[in-house]
Amino acid sequence: MHSLASRLSSGLLISLLIAFALLAVLVSVNIRYVTDDYVASRLQHDTETLLAAVSFDTKGRLLLDAQRIDQVYNQPFSGHYYVISSGTQSHYSRSLWDQRIEHVALESGEQRRVIQSGPEQQSLLVLSSGYTLQGYPLSISLAEDLNPIRQNIEQFIYMFIFTASGILLILIVLQVLILRHSLKPLQQVKQQLVLLEQGKIERLDSNVPAEIEPVINEVNHLLTVMGQRLQRSRDGLGDLAHAIKKPLTVMRQVLRRMDASEPDRETLTEQVDVIVQLSDRILKRARLAGHSHSGKYFCFDKDLSALIDTLGLMYPQSNIQIEQRIDDNVNCPIDREDMMELLGNLLDNACKWAQHKVRITVSSDQQLNISVEDDGPGIAADQVHELSRRGRRLDESVEGHGFGLAIASDTVSEYQGQMRFSKSTELGGLNVDIVLPLRHKSLESEK
Amino acid sequence: MRLLLAEDDHYLAAGLKKDLQAAGYAVDIADNGIDAEYLGNEAIYDIAVLDLGLPQRNGIDVLKNWRSAGNRLPVIVLTARDAWHERVDGFKAGADDYLGKPFHIEELLARLSALLHRASQKAAGELKVGDFTLDEQQQLVSTADGQCHQLTGIEFRLLRYFLLNSGQLLSKSQLSDHVYDLDSEKDSNVIEVYVRRLRQLLGKERIDTRRGQGYIFRDSL
Repeated sequence: MHSLASRLSSGLLISLLIAFALLAVLVSVNIRYVTDDYVASRLQHDTETLLAAVSFDTKGRLLLDAQRIDQVYNQPFSGHYYVISSGTQSHYSRSLWDQRIEHVALESGEQRRVIQSGPEQQSLLVLSSGYTLQGYPLSISLAEDLNPIRQNIEQFIYMFIFTASGILLILIVLQVLILRHSLKPLQQVKQQLVLLEQGKIERLDSNVPAEIEPVINEVNHLLTVMGQRLQRSRDGLGDLAHAIKKPLTVMRQVLRRMDASEPDRETLTEQVDVIVQLSDRILKRARLAGHSHSGKYFCFDKDLSALIDTLGLMYPQSNIQIEQRIDDNVNCPIDREDMMELLGNLLDNACKWAQHKVRITVSSDQQLNISVEDDGPGIAADQVHELSRRGRRLDESVEGHGFGLAIASDTVSEYQGQMRFSKSTELGGLNVDIVLPLRHKSLESEK
Repeated sequence: MRLLLAEDDHYLAAGLKKDLQAAGYAVDIADNGIDAEYLGNEAIYDIAVLDLGLPQRNGIDVLKNWRSAGNRLPVIVLTARDAWHERVDGFKAGADDYLGKPFHIEELLARLSALLHRASQKAAGELKVGDFTLDEQQQLVSTADGQCHQLTGIEFRLLRYFLLNSGQLLSKSQLSDHVYDLDSEKDSNVIEVYVRRLRQLLGKERIDTRRGQGYIFRDSL
């Protein structure tokens, strides 16, 4: 799964890095050219000054007016040198001392610029120009050490890279912050989905950026449609149950009033009973919402106490205590009606057999664990298997422990859960253990 | 005991009425929610059997209206909608018991009798007075020495009403209200005749006459 945030930030990071690297290369290359040009133009200027100090006497000897030569050319290895030549005569600046620089005689008007190494590891920019003075050919080469200026450039580039890296860092941090801020609505949507799973909200908040608003609206629309569809089918099944059961009630009445000697009476009565149980179970099974989203989840605080109050009214004579051991913050993303049906049948069965006490224990981690115990007669070990098997087949007529547990088992299997029977260690009666997996584990684990 | 049967299916209601009458109830039928609510508020009924799917006014609303008006009439809800969440809603609305359709008439009768005992704060099981025991199924009185006396329908209804309301002053019109249904001819003088019959059976001192007011059935002598 790729993350939008990491894609955006890596893309932005790479483009920033490329931009900065390009800038650094351009700046460092250009600044060399610019300084070389600058030095060369200075040398050109100096060449002209030097040219003014040169003259030929009548014999054609090259003369140099020392007064007009800058002191810097007299200090040894000052970094400023000249060579003046005409034919076989040549003058070297005193600053060269015993060293020489490469010098070629050039035609008049010709100019050449080279970089060569000089004394004391100096890096010299040499500008050579050819002239004709008083009819004699004259070549002047002027050299300047580039090292000091190069060192300055280097320092400047270091400074530049340092500052640029600082800015880059700030930009990256800023960009991460901006990204986080702009992706915040997505985080909120994710949190809302978790809340939706847990049934704490019924719709997603539609106050979101325009880019994801259509998705949110579509999800909300689907939630509404699904809720309506479930409600419609449940209402329809309720009506169907109503429609089937009325005639069945009448049939039972008629059969009851029939002469007992009528040979078919018993068969018909049995058949009516079969229809009653089958239709009851099929309709109840069809009403289950299962993992489809219903919007209204079971709330242990509110709904369980209502259920237990109801059982108290259903068994008014018996003084059965229903003890609740419910963990705090039980996560129960299970449809209210389904859970009512499940717990109602389990508790009803327990109350039917219990003498004084029924206990319901609920906890949740990755799954929902429910156990219902009673202090009734319980069941023998060899019956445990029988009870688990019973009621699985739809056409088996089941009484007592059976029918309610059969419906409970339908609910459990709809949720891909497990249901186990055992003897209650503390209360001594039947213990029914139920484990229901909670859906969308990925969403849960990412929290 | 006067019973209000709120059921819209005429065939079913007629059959039920017959069975209930045979079990010693004076039965009136309401076939819609509005009539049911009105009749239930008349203080003549001892118990009501209420179908939730009534036309014009939903059974749950009828029940809620009774309860919010302070009417404590014992109610057994009779419905094809017997999912647990509906059951919880029914009890929340104020039902005293809940029976899913289709039911066995024996179960309805057992629940009616249990609810009536509970409503008059009698112990579950047989109704007893002194040495006498009233068998509600067989509709007969048995004495300590094992003698049984078969009761006529009205005698049974009257004795049961006395037993469930012992120690209270009961007027003749009140007694006839709870013994006869709407269709019966009411003659409160007939009550005197039946009271005399019961005195012969249980002993004169059991039923006191308060001149001009009515009768008091005495639990203990």
